[in-house]
Amino acid sequence: MSGNAYDIDIWGLAVAMAMVAVAAGVSGLMRMGIGRSLLWSACRALLQLCAMGFVVGYVIRADNVFLVFATIGVMLVAAVQITLSRAKGVPKGLAGPVLLSLTITMLLMIALVTELVVRPHPWYAPQLVVPLTGMLLGNTVSALAVGLSRFYESMDERRDEIDTMLALGATAWEAARPSIVSSIRLGLLPTMATLASCGIVTIPGMMAGQVIAGGDPLEAAKYQFVVFAAIAALTLVADGLIMAMTYRTCFTEADQFRPRDMRGVR
Amino acid sequence: MRCDSPLFTAERVSCTVPSPDGDRTVFAGLSFAIGRGEIVDLVGPSGSGKSSLLTAFARLNPHASGSFALDGRDAGSFTPQRWRREVAYLPQKPILPGETVADAIRLPFTLAVRADARDDGRRGGLVGRFARLFRDDAAAARDMLPDARIRETLDAMGCGDIDLTRRPHDLSGGQAARVSLARTLLTGPQVLLADEVDAGLDDGNAAKVASIMAYAAGRGMAIVRIRHRPPDGRASRVATLADGALAWADAAERATGATDGKETA
Repeated sequence: MSGNAYDIDIWGLAVAMAMVAVAAGVSGLMRMGIGRSLLWSACRALLQLCAMGFVVGYVIRADNVFLVFATIGVMLVAAVQITLSRAKGVPKGLAGPVLLSLTITMLLMIALVTELVVRPHPWYAPQLVVPLTGMLLGNTVSALAVGLSRFYESMDERRDEIDTMLALGATAWEAARPSIVSSIRLGLLPTMATLASCGIVTIPGMMAGQVIAGGDPLEAAKYQFVVFAAIAALTLVADGLIMAMTYRTCFTEADQFRPRDMRGVR
Repeated sequence: MRCDSPLFTAERVSCTVPSPDGDRTVFAGLSFAIGRGEIVDLVGPSGSGKSSLLTAFARLNPHASGSFALDGRDAGSFTPQRWRREVAYLPQKPILPGETVADAIRLPFTLAVRADARDDGRRGGLVGRFARLFRDDAAAARDMLPDARIRETLDAMGCGDIDLTRRPHDLSGGQAARVSLARTLLTGPQVLLADEVDAGLDDGNAAKVASIMAYAAGRGMAIVRIRHRPPDGRASRVATLADGALAWADAAERATGATDGKETA
């Protein structure tokens, strides 16, 4: 762990933790009721990040293609679980479609960004593939959760409109299209906001990390752009795939609207 | 049922809705038939399943089953969209999406089921077909149904008071109901299933709606109306749905004996 230009020792972690403790104390005095969960979240984050550090460190040192893909597999499964727990009002049985859309997106990411743009040796270079997958999944998970929640919410809001459109001869796709478009748009909003504001107000986390670790800022900027561009495009792909695979859950075989209580909402 | 060659027939129509304490059968084993140009009124107490019956006819009701035929052709030989194009259900609540009244009326013509005629010349490649998934063809709909023709039809229906460039949101209840009716009539279905279209309208507007439908029936459309108002003399027969069974009466018989009050619940 000596790659960093300036390492953080155990006291550094203690100072960071103390800052959170002080913030929690202040919020306790102000009776905001979030002090305890703030502290708890900070402890969790420290443990999870350190564990991640150990795992990624091990995977990088082992330099084994199977180990890399096993790690990615675990990340995918966790991503599916987080997506489904964050999405509100979605029916049961979406784990398959979510896993499929995340997997396709992740494979596209590895094929395009890793093998076409960066071209590392060996081709599965763990220190590139694992963090890239993590960043992509982080973004797509929230986009999918927001998109799915919004889609089912919108379908229920538009119930009368959908019934009218079906009565006028609309296909299931035509009746669902306004909800699909609005949910994809909502899922992409944070990604586009980040794209537009980065470099002016914020130095994105990945670029900041490379600069702090002593990398050339221009190189870091190029990396950051490639990653952002790929994430934006692939988030759209993931959202589109999940909508194409799931919009029919709101309809019966005979293109009748299936209201919320017939969908088996979790 | 005394239709010699009925246009639309329904047999063994049942509807069972799930409820917290077991499934509840709304009606079962109903038969229904209506001929070309006929107007049939469907009456019955609230909750007897009149709307469920009409949505079942249009194959819109996920809780209903039955066998339906149009002009002797079984419903199974139609796609759901083509069936609904011919057997059109008109909901009670007028829903008029779009920026203007004209857009709302053109909505059915932006749908693929009515695009067969105009699509032939431009099948396009993969990209074109994908793009068409996300485009509602407003321009093509304007070609099929220009403003002038909408205006003409609305005027013929006695809707001269409705401005096509207004926002649908600004229409009065009576105007919205008539625009919704005009939209469905302009698509030219063979059977119109009108679900209490005149509910909540004043007598003047209700009479306008009734005469619009009579005009359409005069041109061969079969019309089933759910009504809560007293008989207006337009229907040739009246069907009463109560306790899961349909009872038929000639409109004339009912007009004299309609004082039992049960149907106007």
